[in-house]
Amino acid sequence: MNDARKKALVVDDEQEIVDFLEHFLRRFNFDVIKINKGQEALAAYREHKPDYVFLDIQMPDKDGIAVLEELRAADASLKVIMITGKDDKKCQQKAKKCGALDYITKPLDLHELRQKVEMYIGNP
Amino acid sequence: MKLDYRKALEKAARQTIMIHRANTLIKMILRTIVRAVGLSHAGMFIYDKKRDEYVLQVSRGSRGFKIPAGFAKIRKDNPLIRCFTDKSIYFPGEIITADGVSGACESFGIGENAPMKKFLEEVKDALFSYQAHACIPGFFRNDLVGVLFLGEKANKKKFHDAELSFLSTLASDIVMALKNAWLIEDLNRQIDANKRLLLQTIASLASSIEAKDKYTIGHTERVAKYALHIAHVLRKSKPIKNWERFVENLNIAALLHDIGKIGIPEHILHKNVRLNKKEKKLVKTHPLVGAAILEHIEAFQEVLLGVKYHHEKYDGNGYPFRLKGRQIPLIASIIALADTFDAMVTDRPYHKGISREQARAEIVRNRGKQFAPCAVDAFLKAYPFRT
Repeated sequence: MNDARKKALVVDDEQEIVDFLEHFLRRFNFDVIKINKGQEALAAYREHKPDYVFLDIQMPDKDGIAVLEELRAADASLKVIMITGKDDKKCQQKAKKCGALDYITKPLDLHELRQKVEMYIGNP
Repeated sequence: MKLDYRKALEKAARQTIMIHRANTLIKMILRTIVRAVGLSHAGMFIYDKKRDEYVLQVSRGSRGFKIPAGFAKIRKDNPLIRCFTDKSIYFPGEIITADGVSGACESFGIGENAPMKKFLEEVKDALFSYQAHACIPGFFRNDLVGVLFLGEKANKKKFHDAELSFLSTLASDIVMALKNAWLIEDLNRQIDANKRLLLQTIASLASSIEAKDKYTIGHTERVAKYALHIAHVLRKSKPIKNWERFVENLNIAALLHDIGKIGIPEHILHKNVRLNKKEKKLVKTHPLVGAAILEHIEAFQEVLLGVKYHHEKYDGNGYPFRLKGRQIPLIASIIALADTFDAMVTDRPYHKGISREQARAEIVRNRGKQFAPCAVDAFLKAYPFRT
């Protein structure tokens, strides 16, 4: 069913992680756009209009929270899921305040990640 | 292509013995598995004590399957883990394959053993989440230390028994290597803790001498500092055997070199006029008294040399044995120089300290007389002991 396909933008400086998330999300009928730089996120959003963004926080070129603010300023209903190694209450609160849909810390439980993805797209 | 399991196993066993770093070994074994069995991917989840869950330590495979270490985990209560740990499940500890679980699910009739069927469905579901076609437990005694997750075979066929038993052996090899590596880490931690304890004990012992003789406050620590500086420079021109052990012992001996003064009455140590013959004789016993105090400590044989001979002079005019030249152990020659330097530049009951430059000149004048030439040369290069 073509109209059931969703689009996801994956932003992480680690290539293996974006590759893995692409692979993972494709199994749930996502089209995936991958980028490695926080600075390119806004342009990629404008070009591809994704339904979901999976966003790293600690990236060398730009902080993920700043990217989140930028994206949400461009589209206040955009669903952004933070995926980060930063297990930090303050950062989590900040992300929530900036409108992040979810905040998932590494290491990821893949079973939970799958349940979450299914929940986001309302496909049990 | 048929796989020669015995050869691969022998190779893995050799690797287990030769490679002490567990992670390197796991990487090699996973690479062997992915290649030999022809898998899309393989990963090893290892129990993490602090988190109390299993974290992906190594993963191998093609793009999209390979995941960086520490990116993924699996909880202890995940049905996949419970298959191996929950004794109430009737096949605990066995290998799980996607086909096996599906087969078992179908074997139940409608309404038959509903809880078990539900559990198996959950296992199937978890296998799907982790894109695993087989999971192989690695036990040490009764503890599940790690789980090997295997992807699909390139030829899309089922795993056969020979493959599974081969993989199972590799999983135990990995666990064995991990246990060894952890044991060695623990041991090293304990050794470090013991060393710290020893040094702290020695520092308190050393300060007990200083408490008795207020003129020497800080003396032992300075002597140790100078001695270590001299040794580090000396080593560059003269090889020193068992260097690491040597500096440890030098440090300890320098801290304890005057421990024998514990047996000398305070009024003699504090006397500001010339000592009489009897008193002098008594003071000169302190290297031997110190050696007698320490001789019960088996590990201190080299330390003992430093304490016992730190008042010997290169030209043979020292005490208590009037040793000469190379008869004096290096450890003692270094301490002798560091001790004299500090004694010269600090105030004592019987003399006022001279300047560091004057002390330096005095040491140069006594090269080959009071002091070993090699120690003096190193001292001059290390002077003025800036860190």
